[in-house]
Amino acid sequence: MKASDKNNPFKTPDSYFDKFSDILSKRLKEENIEIPKEDGFILPEGYLEDLHSNIQKKLEYKENKVVPLNPYKTYYLVAASIAALVLLVFGLNWNTGQEIPSWDDIANTDIENYFDNNDVGLTSLEIAEVMSIEDLEITDFLNSELSEEHIVDYLNDYTDDFEELNLEEDE
Amino acid sequence: MVSEQALIADLQHKSKQSQAFEVLVNTYKERLYWHIRRIVLHHDDADDVLQNTFIKVYRNIHAFKGESKLFSWMYRIATNESLSFLKQKSKKLGLNDMEYQERLVENLQADVYFEGEEIQLQLQKAIATLPEKQKLVFNMKYFEELKYDEISEILGTSVGALKASYHLAVKKVEAYLKED
Repeated sequence: MKASDKNNPFKTPDSYFDKFSDILSKRLKEENIEIPKEDGFILPEGYLEDLHSNIQKKLEYKENKVVPLNPYKTYYLVAASIAALVLLVFGLNWNTGQEIPSWDDIANTDIENYFDNNDVGLTSLEIAEVMSIEDLEITDFLNSELSEEHIVDYLNDYTDDFEELNLEEDE
Repeated sequence: MVSEQALIADLQHKSKQSQAFEVLVNTYKERLYWHIRRIVLHHDDADDVLQNTFIKVYRNIHAFKGESKLFSWMYRIATNESLSFLKQKSKKLGLNDMEYQERLVENLQADVYFEGEEIQLQLQKAIATLPEKQKLVFNMKYFEELKYDEISEILGTSVGALKASYHLAVKKVEAYLKED
């Protein structure tokens, strides 16, 4: 296209001014990009309708599984789990002539790993929120001392390994 | 509709607990689902976390003192459950948080419960680049349209800090989408 001014030596590509509006609006659109309001996630059909009954089943299953020891059951259960772990280590090392491991011998990382890998009803984050591992004492989460008799009763009633531990002890 | 206080009283009353729990689940399931889904991204994971959230609410309702709204308390549990879930998963895979987020977004393309187009996928990639707090605030404000004081009660962060986080998050998401 020739410049309208005869003295103007510049010229533009063919149809430049015809296409200019489209190019400009495309550019503006790119500049003012909008974050979409739709996130693309969808739900399986009937999922929300069945949710309550699914939770109820899970609750019933978990409630049948839980063995309450006393009203402080959550901490008591955690304590009993740790005690069971200590007893297991004790049992496995009974005939080896090694020293019996004490509470202090359990590395913090072992306790953390135990909580990470076992369902104790609390996440590690929640446990960390209420107690510092460094300052942890057994009396911090038990209002009375956990007697050996209780531990033995508990293991006798609710673990499959108890007989195995006894057998090793008799040998 | 049952008032929140009446619902809490029923939940704490042994004989009414079961019925009240059904009301609670039906009232909040959808909002909590979408809140969790936008954090964990995949439906199966969201289902696990949502069920665990309600179970935790059921088990701890006696300890609920009413210092915050029931809704905020449940949102807080859902948020903590979702973040713990992601941390456990990433730890099991030996990935850091960012690497795990990237993997989650990559897997979205194969997810039958994700019907987003390219722009939605880019949006999820952009959100994945945000720090944890900004990500939460962005989702809660932009998609869930919660008010700042509601988010403040849930996350325990001041409204001023939330506004700053949201502003930064929007800028980063926009910049990411423009770049791409």
